Amino acid sequence: MKRFGKLLSFLGIAVLTLLITILLIRLVGSSVDQAFSSFLSGIFGSFYSVSEVMVKATPLILTGLGVAVGSRSGFINIGAEGQLYMGAIAVTCIAFWLNDLPAIVMIPLVILGGFVFGGVWSVIPGFLKARFGISEVITTLMFNYIAISIVGILVRTLLKDPSNSLPMSSFLPDSATLPVILSSTRLHAGFLVALISVVLVWLLVWKTPAGYEMRAVGLNPRACKCSGISVYKNIIRSSLISGGLAGIAGVCEVAGLHHKLLEGISPGYGYIAIIVALLGKNHPVGVVISALGIAALQVGSLGMQRAAGVPTSISSIIMGVVVLLILARKSIFRRLLTDE
Amino acid sequence: MALLSMKNINKSFFGKMANNQVCFDLEPGEIHALLGENGAGKTTLMNILYGIYARDSGDILWKGQAVSFASPRAAIACHIGMVHQHFMLVPTLTVSQNITLGLREKGYPFPDRKALNAAITDVSEKYGLQIDVGAYISTLSVGEQQRVEIIKLLYRDAELLILDEPTAMLTPQETEYFFAVLRKLRADGHSVIIITHRIPEVMSITDRVTVLRDGYNVVTVKTCDFTEQELSQYMIGRQLHSIQREPIVPDAGSEGLVLEDVSLKENGMERLTSLSLQIAPGEIVGVAGVDGNGQKELVEVILGIRKHSQGKIKLGGLDMSAMSVLEHKKLGIGYISDDRQQDGLVMDMNLTDNMLLKTHTDPRFIDHGLINARLVREDTQKAVEDYAIKTPGLNTPLRYLSGGNQQKLILAREMAGDPKAIVALQPTRGLDIGATEFVQQQLLQHRVKGCSILLISADLEEVLLLSDRIVVIYKGRFMGIFPNTKELSLSHIGLMMAGRTSEARKESL
Repeated sequence: MKRFGKLLSFLGIAVLTLLITILLIRLVGSSVDQAFSSFLSGIFGSFYSVSEVMVKATPLILTGLGVAVGSRSGFINIGAEGQLYMGAIAVTCIAFWLNDLPAIVMIPLVILGGFVFGGVWSVIPGFLKARFGISEVITTLMFNYIAISIVGILVRTLLKDPSNSLPMSSFLPDSATLPVILSSTRLHAGFLVALISVVLVWLLVWKTPAGYEMRAVGLNPRACKCSGISVYKNIIRSSLISGGLAGIAGVCEVAGLHHKLLEGISPGYGYIAIIVALLGKNHPVGVVISALGIAALQVGSLGMQRAAGVPTSISSIIMGVVVLLILARKSIFRRLLTDE
Repeated sequence: MALLSMKNINKSFFGKMANNQVCFDLEPGEIHALLGENGAGKTTLMNILYGIYARDSGDILWKGQAVSFASPRAAIACHIGMVHQHFMLVPTLTVSQNITLGLREKGYPFPDRKALNAAITDVSEKYGLQIDVGAYISTLSVGEQQRVEIIKLLYRDAELLILDEPTAMLTPQETEYFFAVLRKLRADGHSVIIITHRIPEVMSITDRVTVLRDGYNVVTVKTCDFTEQELSQYMIGRQLHSIQREPIVPDAGSEGLVLEDVSLKENGMERLTSLSLQIAPGEIVGVAGVDGNGQKELVEVILGIRKHSQGKIKLGGLDMSAMSVLEHKKLGIGYISDDRQQDGLVMDMNLTDNMLLKTHTDPRFIDHGLINARLVREDTQKAVEDYAIKTPGLNTPLRYLSGGNQQKLILAREMAGDPKAIVALQPTRGLDIGATEFVQQQLLQHRVKGCSILLISADLEEVLLLSDRIVVIYKGRFMGIFPNTKELSLSHIGLMMAGRTSEARKESL
């Protein structure tokens, strides 16, 4: 009975979301039929559009995974955006600095570099939280602005392409770019990197003693202290991994998609990551599913804009509605979820 | 006519009946005990009356009128007041501010504090409830806080006072004083309901007693017509078996758990002052004391959760002073905390994961760096069987287990691998009688196996029941150490618990 009620409540959320979407489409004066069909064909219409969903999902999976790892041990990481930018800086610097390395060495090296840069960017707030009890919500958020501004400075000074008047770096050497894995699409090896990360994180967090400690610390730090598990060490550890994964997302975006560093490489992936982790219940598999879902929503709404003239910002509104409904699910559907 | 009558009250939680057709009557001007074990439904019944829970069915008549309080505020308006087991006071406000909290009296929001204080003092002096109205709650002892709670109700003109386990935190002397206050209240026409599981207190203070068991009411009788034994049979439904302690054989080869001149200073406050104690293998030392006199600090220092500022703590001759909590545990100390939900368990994790809290770094359970889930499950399954833990399954989050079963899991974990020492802080708090006996039996079994056991309990009876020697703690100091013999004077220990050593000495002369 209870299980059935739970199912019904999610169905309720779907119906409510659909109703609000229809309302919004009506509001902008488009035809609902046309909007929905163009939304679906925007996602499933062609081989290319499906691959585009995976391209969008790649950074969402990685940053979402990072946020989820942090959440599991009580580290609320709002700074995936900044950590992503730090990863982007890492790959660009390493690629230009060691430009004569072969790809087989270069690719692992830039991924590792991105992990370290993103990780350090997140360990600093992690340390401040573990040592002084400073809220990581504030510090990670503030670190986003710093990271984004550092990129702004770099693409105008040290890393600027002298042959181009726009603030961006030159193209990365070929050895540092991630190959396209599906010809005539933009889908690059970063997607595989993301999937491998999902498996590794799942193993780490659910199968190893270290992962056990991180989860326990997130649920009850006091009991961990009384059992001899260091809360400090585990916050440091999880913040490092959390930021590192977001850093890899930055590497994938630069090395796989843009092939150069520029401002605005991320349209807020690091923030959407929080939603990805929330909808995915902080579980690696859930993160993959919700990242693909949100990527599909964004890609589909592009199709909707092209064919039916519905602005893409509708996808952000839908995302917000879904998050609100899921957070409020237990109160809205209380009748269904309790025994009465 | 009865002042209050509750008829056929039903209340269930998650399908389990907490109150089943319970009836309860109260005469004006009587002290009435609601007697029963933990989980018998006493507090539930009173919470229904007080408007905290809504009943499933049944009627409540107050002065002949059918009533149904939606909140405590409504109950207070009808002159019914309740003091909960855990006091509801604001520690950062004064006594006077706490008493008038929420009342919109003359001059609100700028009340005439002087006039209010005078009115409060009137009430308190009338019943011999001495209190400094200007003192901050955080500076008061538990006994004084209880007085504030009672004055708070009297100040709101309560005719009926419901007191939930009022003597749980009091020393024997404070209890006597408290009973004197209750008698004055009765003489003045107030009615009192005392929720308790302590039969001697029922005998000494109450006029009538209603016994509850497993959510049913068993009987309502005049107290003076019955003996303690008869009441306890009503309450438990069977005879208590008495616990036997064999005389210990001290193990000459090992020192057991030793404290040498241990002190703890935190934020400039002396929490523990030069504590010295030796617990031989196979010995239980009980620590008697009123809650909050350094008991928690003592166990946490022994476990290494807090670092003592002076002295040495040894186990089997090995100095543990500089060791981490993990090293303490690996050396063989089991820890049973008083706050199992916060300190001992991760409530949102399942049984196997909670067992892992101790064993997740144990090489037995690790293959190639990964935790061997199968072995851990087997280990947990064995614990569930050995300790008779009632659970729907190994994957059930601990949150959904009863307190007794949660505690059993902690015992299973902490007593695994025959520890050299066990530190148990309030190990039976909040457990029903069956679980309490189980915990006590386990402690005694480990005593026989040669474990040094430190048992700390605010329940003096439990300390007397299990300990070979008794230490009294007051404000972080040991007031005295006695062998637990029949000649031991209870009032002597009581005085020491209240910090009155000189009087205690006089009495023993």
